[in-house]
Amino acid sequence: MTGSTPVPGGLPASVPLVAADGLAWSVAGVRIIDSIDLAVGRGELVGVIGPNGAGKTTLLRLLSGALAPTEGAVRLGGRPLGEMSARERARKVAYMAQESMQALPFTAMEVLLMGRYPHLARFERESAADRQKARDALAAVGLPEIENRVIAELSGGERQLILFARALVQDTDVLLLDEPSSSLDIGHQDRIFSLTQEIARAGRTVIASVHNLSVAAEYCTRLLLLDRGTIAASGPAEAVLKPELLDRIYGVRTLVSPSSATGSLTVTVVPGRTGGRSARVHVIGGAGSAVNITRELYRMGCRLSGGVAHEYDSDEKLWRSLALTVESVGAFSRISDQDVARAARLVEEAELTILCSFPVGAGNLGNLKLAGRARRLVIASPGPGDVGRALLSSEAEELFRQLCAGATQLSYQEIVAMISQREGSAR
Amino acid sequence: MKTKPALAFAALSVLLAVALLLAVSIGAVAIPPLSVLSMAAQALGVHSFAVPDATTQVIITQLRLPRVMAAALVGCSLAVCGVVMQGLFRNPMASPEILGVSAGGSLGAVIAITAGLAGESQLLLPLFTIAGALVCTTLIYLLSSSRGTTSLLFIIIAGMAISALCGGITSGLLLFARQYEVTQYVFWTMGGLDGRTWQHVLLSAPVLLPGVLALALFSRELNIFSLGEEGAHSLGVHVESVKRLLLALSAIVTGVAISVSGPVGFVGLLVPHLLRMLVGPDHRKLVPASALGGGLFLVVCDLVGRIIAPPFEIRVGIITAVIGSPYLLSLVLRTQRRAAGVR
Repeated sequence: MTGSTPVPGGLPASVPLVAADGLAWSVAGVRIIDSIDLAVGRGELVGVIGPNGAGKTTLLRLLSGALAPTEGAVRLGGRPLGEMSARERARKVAYMAQESMQALPFTAMEVLLMGRYPHLARFERESAADRQKARDALAAVGLPEIENRVIAELSGGERQLILFARALVQDTDVLLLDEPSSSLDIGHQDRIFSLTQEIARAGRTVIASVHNLSVAAEYCTRLLLLDRGTIAASGPAEAVLKPELLDRIYGVRTLVSPSSATGSLTVTVVPGRTGGRSARVHVIGGAGSAVNITRELYRMGCRLSGGVAHEYDSDEKLWRSLALTVESVGAFSRISDQDVARAARLVEEAELTILCSFPVGAGNLGNLKLAGRARRLVIASPGPGDVGRALLSSEAEELFRQLCAGATQLSYQEIVAMISQREGSAR
Repeated sequence: MKTKPALAFAALSVLLAVALLLAVSIGAVAIPPLSVLSMAAQALGVHSFAVPDATTQVIITQLRLPRVMAAALVGCSLAVCGVVMQGLFRNPMASPEILGVSAGGSLGAVIAITAGLAGESQLLLPLFTIAGALVCTTLIYLLSSSRGTTSLLFIIIAGMAISALCGGITSGLLLFARQYEVTQYVFWTMGGLDGRTWQHVLLSAPVLLPGVLALALFSRELNIFSLGEEGAHSLGVHVESVKRLLLALSAIVTGVAISVSGPVGFVGLLVPHLLRMLVGPDHRKLVPASALGGGLFLVVCDLVGRIIAPPFEIRVGIITAVIGSPYLLSLVLRTQRRAAGVR
């Protein structure tokens, strides 16, 4: 699909392929799209993100010419869209709408060949080259074998791939995709976005509305965050996917962190507790023992603090990335009494302190002392697969015995169950 | 299921020719098909065959031929309009009746009949039918268009409302009509081709043939409409103008067709559906195939109606309905069963 991307002569590289100035569209007095300025150049893969009703589809339809703007204008390669003939427009921009029903028994090949319509004269039949383009597109989306299958009998995902392939067959410089992967499995989703990435790199322009923010971050060169018809942010994923921005616009608590595997940003939603009081919990961990319980409690919406942690410990890294209040000391250094005193503040204000199960040596003996300051202490007893609690000195053993006297011992699951029960009744 | 289109076209053409020949030959007075052929040869300037006697000639040229031609024309027009509506509405169940053509045509017909005009001239009833159909369609179209766009969904709703209104007025008029007028109207609604003259053919053909041809020219656009209006627009189809043109042409062609035959049901539903299974949904093949198939279907139905219960004639609308209704039912059942199978 990449070989046939001529860079049109006469168009300076500085002229954006798709541009909008002061674009607005209103229906029944409601401004669905409000003064949007946009310039997208060759090679860009722009992901339009935003909550439902933000105007993503409307923006794409305005850019495709399916809707005429109430104000402002769209220009393609410097030429106003409104001045183009339908045919000229169809040779420049292809629009893949969200799935539409197909009741007539057209085959995949027949549908794909429809994509050649703007390139054919009135009574011209599709040539072998047109058929080859259709076959290439089918192969590109990974469905070479369904050429003669009836569209209506394919699965929803396959139909979506066919619609995408149809847009490819149209062979335009600009591709507008409305939720191209909404009904696709992760394999096909990757396929579609890898293809669009390839298309953009070949010097075309792709603008796609994407619901999955992590997917948008992974593939798009630029994100456009829409909020009630206006651009709330535009730029690379790192600049747009800010929790404070997303939280406000989507109305949820989000967690943005780089994926440890690919390095691209992933956005997770933390089931929000709106209203109600959430538990204030302090977690004492080490050696990664607090990772699972922290995640669990964070998802439940607990207000968490952690420490004393050692820098670069996986507990510490997680707590930092969740932006929790953390007391920490340098890697492998001893937790001094001063450190304990600093952290005591967090422990004392917590309704509940959880002492995770981790080996206690000279360096982190302080954490047992810290646990002694808790208003209410729960000692986690390790299950199979958890980090074990080895008490490596007699002092540690003695301290632990004292702690046990005034604390409850529960497994991690029991701790979670206890807190969620409490949370439920508090609601 | 799909056969080679060339084969399908050849078969349809041959069948149509055979049906035309048989329809002219068979009747109260049996005329050997060979005589009909030799007459045709003579008309083409070949005089080497013996021609039938003058009476037979009159039967052929003045009675049967116009009737058969009318049947072929009407069948062709109704089937093509059916295909177009189905393509436009992306629904294999759509028909020009959505546009209120039948309801409006019936109202026009009942006005002509109760006003006593139908007896004045053979052409007044058809004229009123056309007028009724077009007024009704225009009304529906205006109701469902706003700000330069026409909503196909609203056409269906407005069509139902206006059709019901026309139906009400029609019934009201019949209430005050004389008995023979009611009978005449009821007869008209059955659809029939008896007594159709060259005048009917020659007056309707200049509308029907170009109309059908014009509809056929939009076959590729009809294909693309299957992607939805948004998809069609994206491919550079002038969605609004094509839609408007096709709606107007379908209404006119259907209106003129039923002015010749009365409202003959099911041709526009049955023929396209059968042929879609034969040549596929591509309108570039389906429209011409339906033109042939529609003509064939109505010629055969009319012939069946003429010979099934002599000396009586069963009106063609009854024959198409008797064949069409069970077929429609089986179609619905099969579609449902398939939908159930998919889920």
